[in-house]
Amino acid sequence: MKPDVENAIAELKAAFPRHQVEVTPDARGGASVIVHGLSIGQQYSPSTSWVGFTLVGQYPHADVYPHFMDEGVRFANGEGWKAGLSVGKWAGRSAIQISRRSKRWNPAVDTAATKLVKVLEWLRSQ
Amino acid sequence: MKYPVSLRITQPLYNQLYQHLFPGDGDEHGAVLTAGIVETSKGTRLLVRDVFLAKDGVDYVPSTRGYRALIAQFVADKSHYCATQNLCYFAVHCHGGQDQVAFSADDLASHERGYPALLDITKGGPIGALVFAKNAVAGDIWTSEGRYPLNNMVIIGSQIRSFYPSPKPRPRTADPKYDRHARMFGDVGQEVLSNLKVGIIGLGGAGSLINEWLSQLGVGHIVAIDFDRVEITNRPRIVGSTRWDAMEWLVRQPFPWVQRLGKKLAKHKVYVAQRVAKRANGDIQYDAIVGSIVDESVAKKLIDADFIFLAADTAQSRLVFNALAYQYLIPGVQVGVKVPVDQKTGTIGDIFSATRHVHPFAGGGCLNCHELISPSRLQEEALSLEERKEQQYINYEDIPQPSVITLNVMATGQAVNDFLMMFIGLFEPDQLLYHQMNKVRQRQSDLVEPMIQADCLHCSSHERSNRAKGDRGSLPCL
Repeated sequence: MKPDVENAIAELKAAFPRHQVEVTPDARGGASVIVHGLSIGQQYSPSTSWVGFTLVGQYPHADVYPHFMDEGVRFANGEGWKAGLSVGKWAGRSAIQISRRSKRWNPAVDTAATKLVKVLEWLRSQ
Repeated sequence: MKYPVSLRITQPLYNQLYQHLFPGDGDEHGAVLTAGIVETSKGTRLLVRDVFLAKDGVDYVPSTRGYRALIAQFVADKSHYCATQNLCYFAVHCHGGQDQVAFSADDLASHERGYPALLDITKGGPIGALVFAKNAVAGDIWTSEGRYPLNNMVIIGSQIRSFYPSPKPRPRTADPKYDRHARMFGDVGQEVLSNLKVGIIGLGGAGSLINEWLSQLGVGHIVAIDFDRVEITNRPRIVGSTRWDAMEWLVRQPFPWVQRLGKKLAKHKVYVAQRVAKRANGDIQYDAIVGSIVDESVAKKLIDADFIFLAADTAQSRLVFNALAYQYLIPGVQVGVKVPVDQKTGTIGDIFSATRHVHPFAGGGCLNCHELISPSRLQEEALSLEERKEQQYINYEDIPQPSVITLNVMATGQAVNDFLMMFIGLFEPDQLLYHQMNKVRQRQSDLVEPMIQADCLHCSSHERSNRAKGDRGSLPCL
């Protein structure tokens, strides 16, 4: 893994100390990352899920998106997925795709950890 | 350390240093430069990152062993900074005179007293001293392996200038075929071109034009980078390409497997470009690289280039090109043409060509500061084809875009003429080289004011910025 990707993973572990962080390095300096047991909000059933994403070798210049969560997650009220959420595939598994592109991504400031926090905030606000 | 050793400094930093050293009082003044370093088989470049001016009477004071010297605290602060930032340290002072300069015996004695300890403090440096006259510079560079003189200094701005310890001998008369060139920029200008190493990233419609013109101008060394092969649809735009290069006799067959075979056997674009260049200039040194600039081993072929043209339009290639420009202090230019077409109605929008200079200082046209390197496209382009399909992204590169040779000429012609003016010294030193956009249908040319992000990881002085770090920074390659 590239040093910037390793740093990002270290920051994630520090930002989510009570959660298991699963890392699978890829062949191009990046990694697939899964953070387990995250609270996504009571409007979902179940209200917790793993959230996964890819850090590419050109991180932090590259944005971190999309994110993915367990394919079994549904809105508790039975509604279908809204814009930004869709059924997709990631790392060979079916998953719910969370498409939150950062229009103002700044590689000097934004990190995989801050992006995950923003994605969780967005999920909880839906 | 490989010899020759040269020093590269950007025009804004040089202006700052020059005004401090030569304020018009005829006296001696001092400063410290910090620098990154790049070593190749052909020599070493020291890349100036910071200029620290020593205040007269405070940091630069009368000395018992010479005329003046930097005080110990100033040297300690700056050498400590170099050690923590992994940079090289160079003490600077000035002498009188114009075109010739050398260290005095007192200067050399002070180096011998102080520099062994300074090498230890800076973890091996290199460290050393530079002495400036108004149009000359000499250097005494110390490393753990030995001591080297400075060959020359290159100032990178709209005019690329080289200073030496003493005037260079007159060049030999240019080859008679360049007679009309020499009448414009002299034998000196022709020799400058013959000593340049120029990179071209992308040898498609735009890059192939640049390649032909540089070869005809007499540029001595071209490094051409492209992974692609000639296709039948490229032929109207790729200079010098033939039906055989595109394997048209196979590609035009009605059988898909024969067409695939033809595409597989088609010539790589860089080899077509090499053939064109060799026809124009049999003496040219030509490196045809089949590969992607995103691959670090390929990008490293350009770290000692004098100029880079970017004629490939992916976010990844823009990122690596921009990083090369700032990390290794190599000026360059990105060229492109956009023909927007409404996919539903087929209506043609505002056609524009872009010529975007990227010079290695803040405000020099950094593509990142101008928000021309899309972080989201970087993420998408780094995914495999399968991953992109899974994530339902449109692969923009696979949608054929309209392209016409004469539109490519607008962007590339401007870029190559600017390159020529820079190296033969026909731009004024303060000539602004803003990004230039030509709206073709409106016959309108617009300049884009420079944009600067204070924390840019390419061009700023932010501690994480790789500007002028050379081999001591890492390129954003895969």
